[in-house]
Amino acid sequence: MSKQIRQLDSWVVLQDLLEKEGVARQHLNSYNEFYSRGLQSIVDEMGEVEVETVSTPYKVKFGKIEVGRPRVIEIDGSVSNVFPVETRLRNLSYAAPIYLDMTIEEEGLQREATRQHVGDLPVMVKSELCQLSKLAKEQLISAGEDPNDPGGYFIINGSERVIVGLEDLSPNKILVDLEKTGGVFSYKARVYSSVVGYRSKLEATLKQDGGINIKVPSCPIDLPFVIVMRALGIKSDKEIANSVSPKPEIQDLLEVSFDKASEAPTEKDALVYIGNRVAHGMLEEFRIKRAQSMLDWGFLPHLGKTDEKRYDKAMFLGEAIAKLMELRLGWIQPDDKDHYGNKVIKFAGQMLADLFRTAFRNLVRDMKYQLERTGQKRGGNVVGAAIRTGIITDKLNNAIATGNWGRGKVGVTQLLDRTNYLSTLSHLRRVQSPLSRSQPNFEARDLHATHFGRICPCETPEGVNCGLVKNLALSAIISVSVPAAEVEERLWELGAKSIRDVPDKLALDGTRIFMDGRFIGFVDDGERLAKAFRKLRREGQINPSASVMHYPPLNKRGYSRLYVSLSAGRVMRPLIVVEGGKPLLTQEMITKVASAELSWRDLVERGVVELIDANEEENSLVSMSAEEITSRHTHLELYPGAMFGISASVIPYPEHNQSPRNTYESAMAKQSLGFSSPTFPLSTFVRQHLLVTPQSALVRTKSTDLLKIAERPLGTNAVVAVLSFEGYNIEDAIIMNKSSVDRGFARSFFYRLYEAEAKQYLGGMRDTFEVPSPDSNIRGYRGEKFYRLLEADGVVMHEAQVQGGDVMVGRTSPPRFMEEYKEFEIKGPYRRDTSVAVRPTESGVVDAVFMTESVEGGKMFKVRVRDMRIPEIGDKFASRHGQKGVIGLVVPQEDMPYTEDGVVPDVIINPHAFPSRMTVGQFIESIAGKAASLRGTPADGTGFVGETVEDLGKIMKERGFEPTGREIMYDGKTGKKFAVDIFIGVVYYQKLHHMVVDKIHARARGQVQMLTKQPTEGRARGGGLRFGEMERDCLIAYGASMVLKDRLLDEADKAEVYVCEKCGLIAYYDAKQRRYACKVDGDSAKISTVVVAYAFKLLLQEMMSLNIAPRLRLRDKV
Amino acid sequence: MFLNPRPTSISNFSGSLTGELFDMLKVKVLEDAEDRVSLQLDGVDRSYANAVRRFCLSEVPSMAIDDVVILENSSVLYDEILAHRLGMLPLKTDLERYILPEKCDCGTPLGCQKCRVLLVLDASAHEKTRTVYSGDLVSEDREISPISASIPVVKLAPGQTVKLEAYARLGRGKEHAKWQPATVSVLLDGKSEDSFVLKVESSGVLRPKEIVTKAVEILEEKLKEMQKEVSAKVE
Ligand SMILES: [Zn+2]
Repeated sequence: MSKQIRQLDSWVVLQDLLEKEGVARQHLNSYNEFYSRGLQSIVDEMGEVEVETVSTPYKVKFGKIEVGRPRVIEIDGSVSNVFPVETRLRNLSYAAPIYLDMTIEEEGLQREATRQHVGDLPVMVKSELCQLSKLAKEQLISAGEDPNDPGGYFIINGSERVIVGLEDLSPNKILVDLEKTGGVFSYKARVYSSVVGYRSKLEATLKQDGGINIKVPSCPIDLPFVIVMRALGIKSDKEIANSVSPKPEIQDLLEVSFDKASEAPTEKDALVYIGNRVAHGMLEEFRIKRAQSMLDWGFLPHLGKTDEKRYDKAMFLGEAIAKLMELRLGWIQPDDKDHYGNKVIKFAGQMLADLFRTAFRNLVRDMKYQLERTGQKRGGNVVGAAIRTGIITDKLNNAIATGNWGRGKVGVTQLLDRTNYLSTLSHLRRVQSPLSRSQPNFEARDLHATHFGRICPCETPEGVNCGLVKNLALSAIISVSVPAAEVEERLWELGAKSIRDVPDKLALDGTRIFMDGRFIGFVDDGERLAKAFRKLRREGQINPSASVMHYPPLNKRGYSRLYVSLSAGRVMRPLIVVEGGKPLLTQEMITKVASAELSWRDLVERGVVELIDANEEENSLVSMSAEEITSRHTHLELYPGAMFGISASVIPYPEHNQSPRNTYESAMAKQSLGFSSPTFPLSTFVRQHLLVTPQSALVRTKSTDLLKIAERPLGTNAVVAVLSFEGYNIEDAIIMNKSSVDRGFARSFFYRLYEAEAKQYLGGMRDTFEVPSPDSNIRGYRGEKFYRLLEADGVVMHEAQVQGGDVMVGRTSPPRFMEEYKEFEIKGPYRRDTSVAVRPTESGVVDAVFMTESVEGGKMFKVRVRDMRIPEIGDKFASRHGQKGVIGLVVPQEDMPYTEDGVVPDVIINPHAFPSRMTVGQFIESIAGKAASLRGTPADGTGFVGETVEDLGKIMKERGFEPTGREIMYDGKTGKKFAVDIFIGVVYYQKLHHMVVDKIHARARGQVQMLTKQPTEGRARGGGLRFGEMERDCLIAYGASMVLKDRLLDEADKAEVYVCEKCGLIAYYDAKQRRYACKVDGDSAKISTVVVAYAFKLLLQEMMSLNIAPRLRLRDKV
Repeated sequence: MFLNPRPTSISNFSGSLTGELFDMLKVKVLEDAEDRVSLQLDGVDRSYANAVRRFCLSEVPSMAIDDVVILENSSVLYDEILAHRLGMLPLKTDLERYILPEKCDCGTPLGCQKCRVLLVLDASAHEKTRTVYSGDLVSEDREISPISASIPVVKLAPGQTVKLEAYARLGRGKEHAKWQPATVSVLLDGKSEDSFVLKVESSGVLRPKEIVTKAVEILEEKLKEMQKEVSAKVE
């Protein structure tokens, strides 16, 4: 047993993985691949631009593309390298120039080679392009960066943006499904055929009458299967049938299809048949051409877009029909769309590639236009002048800044969550599903068995996005793309036979081989091939990202299939290889990894640890622990805690909680205040919090070390008693000890940033920073007292106490419209006060004033105001078990209960918080926290492997405490002993960013909306509190009609209108003639005053504008 | 036998609490150490004993820094955090020589020799990072200084300076926890119905015995005042 590895130890492999690769590795890998290879391949796709001039046309050929270092070009044209800190401070974009080699070719002769700047590429922080990726820890610190920052995001105009991972269905996979529509079953096979930047969905349906229809987007009408096969050039019926399957059962089912295709017996007939549908009414020659180009471009484009690929397409279609028939025969089961093997995740690199492709195309189109316009002039300089770098720069910048990716894709990027360190990490590992959140999609939202170790089972939002927004598990590794050629070579060496020349025997009962959605061949024994493939991979001869799955049929007459996946974006997880009932990972290796002599990469290279994707896992039997391994097992879990994501992995004893509680906590941890970054003195986030004395938790999990959370903590250890307290902690309220609050418990700072830039306008006018003076004709002058804190330069004093409305940056601007000058000829031109003032509901101390220059060259001030937040009634707190609550009362220490040792709790939580929620984990944490305090070292509460209650109990007993965590306590007010023992221990508490000062709001009188004359809405606008429909119903039911009228009319939008009794339309008061008038009835009108809601008057008028005449019939009240 | 130690009427209460009014009052010292005292109280009602316990926390005055004039602060800690930390430093207290500011007749906001002590801190870091400790505070009254010289106040990076004047005053725990002289003050049930154990641990600002006696004294004063008020109203 001593030789056998223990699960507790093998977590160092995972630690090494996270340390070396970082939390944001999936973004960084994706981006690095994009800039190092993706860019070039996009350029190569375009290849050249032909300039068609009248006399001598020429070409500009594109060569090598390269990206420089991140830099900024100032307004005066000077160029300097920038670090991310500077870009955040100055609202710059962190981007690097892209250079493209171009050669001018005229009549086949190369004329001139030139290297041109074509645009700027946003640089992902900590990618290979980023300067920070080359710096050591100390250098990072002196560069003003957080050495623990994971990177993986972009900085556009000073704000940090993340491209959230996008989940997608695996491309080019044949998925068969059994659908029930209106009581009838229909069998369907679907393929999302995708090539770079283009996707075409193919759907084959087995109809009720036995016919098979093919649907492709480029053809408006469904096509019979056999006709498509003929059009693809498969001549004989036998060949067509055999390309589906030589098996008689399947061929029998195809009979109907052949009958239906009798009208187009030859390839030409078939093409005409298709042509009639895609290009109706054209010449026959043209129809055939259109049919062919449809087959080459719109039909299974992933197999190629040339006519040589038609055979491959026919074989692929045959296979799709084979799967469909096998499903019909019950030989195979419907494919599971939600199986994670059928999903890939797109990260920044792929998303940017899509964007860059269109931007580059636009650039080239524009270039062509410019060059053709220039005409005869040519040469490097002319080409250079024809490149508008803004096309690429602006497209990329705008897309990342807004998240608008074009073609209806919105919300692709998000502002990086900097609430605390954990929320940043979690945000970088978020995955979004493209499925609509407005539809139920129940199955897609469910947790799937294949999520294990890939997607966190706990961390998902509640509500509309539940199950659609996911988070990667700690152990998830995203595959990178593997070059296909060498892997294919290995397959041939291992005995696979190409589909082009396959022996009949093999075609009948061999295993079909697929490589990334291409049907490439057959092999006699698929399982043997899969094993051999894995052996080679473990020997390092095949890339570890390549995966193989052997899929035997349900019924032995069906086909067995072998899938080799090489694509990027599959979610893999590391597992320990087990051979002959023994795990290959030994204790020595673990020791070496711990001492940095070995890395997890070495273990992968040696075949000790293997990366397994969800498909390949179907061929594996994974043991949860080393003790349970049998001879049938193929793998061993690396570390059970790795199944959780970032947020859930900090929950101590999660296995003792009811599962939704862990989900709640996963969401809540992201709202807790802490020490988000050591760069906070220079941080310029619009809103930011800082916990003054954050503590690392006494009860930790392994991920505390793994993610370095102890260095960026987000809570405080609190002594917590479970007790009721005079009703002040009912309904999840908590009681807080006033002395603890006095001593600084959960004290935090809130920072708000105010920005002011001096812009320059057309005509040479500009904003000026100054102290606006009352006698210099300034519109919107606020009054002297609001400017009292400004210094001579117009900016507030450092460390000044500011209240809502106080001006912090005095600024005046020129009039908005030039014409306005005329009005003020006597007084001279006026200026507008555009000063930046503290928000009306906020106050604080001026914490920092940054003076800098924007990229447009305007002077810019950023003023940060800090506000100390001492816990008070109404502030929200939560433990790490989804137990949230607000402070119900702050109690003086002498009134608080005390233990015999004089321990007074910091927090008192109501016992009713537990029975229904079943958060037993909090009890255990409480005991563990108490034991840890007594022992003097932190306790380990990692899920499944944490310290046990028994062991913790022993520690307590040794030190004279009850192992149950209960103690005799006295009531501080009376000095009486409580009748029962009280459960008291140490629990880590998080202060959440919902604080009462930000929400408290009341209104007596105030602003009204201009349009409706009803009170405004919302705290920021000093709005009223809505007296809604349900409240209205209450008053109606109660019969309190006067109150009703008071709320809904008198105190809302009461208005008097004049109504003409004769026509019933609204009349008016003619001020000139001093009389009431009606446009319709003139002198014969009888006009009365009616009190209505202004909104009603508005309705009448809106209806009148729609040519409806709403008439009011008036009658006397008596 | 159940003893009622309460005076039969408020008007005939005149003597001290530890006098003849408690028939069976017995106080036994169980522990008397530098930082803690443990007393066994027999023959006293729980409400009295508990009042004394509570007064040890909330009413017995002690010295703490209350006002800080910051002349220079280039450390990473904000002025308010620095001031808070200084306030939390326990200061040796002399209740004989100092009185509560509200009871002082000087009437000045900064106080006088009787009601405040000035402590000065002037510390800079030059070549190395430096931790400023409570011992770096220089007090105008040598007797009134932090109970320990090794309480960290702030860390300074090279080039940073902290320069300030701190005014310490007497105050009560009910106003702010920094004025609590006792860290522990518990009343435990004793062997019989009206037997209790009062345990008080001092933060070091006052001797534990002093905290208890002062608590009793304040209770007595308060009752006396109440008696005065009541009898004035009743007559
Ligand atoms: Zn005085």
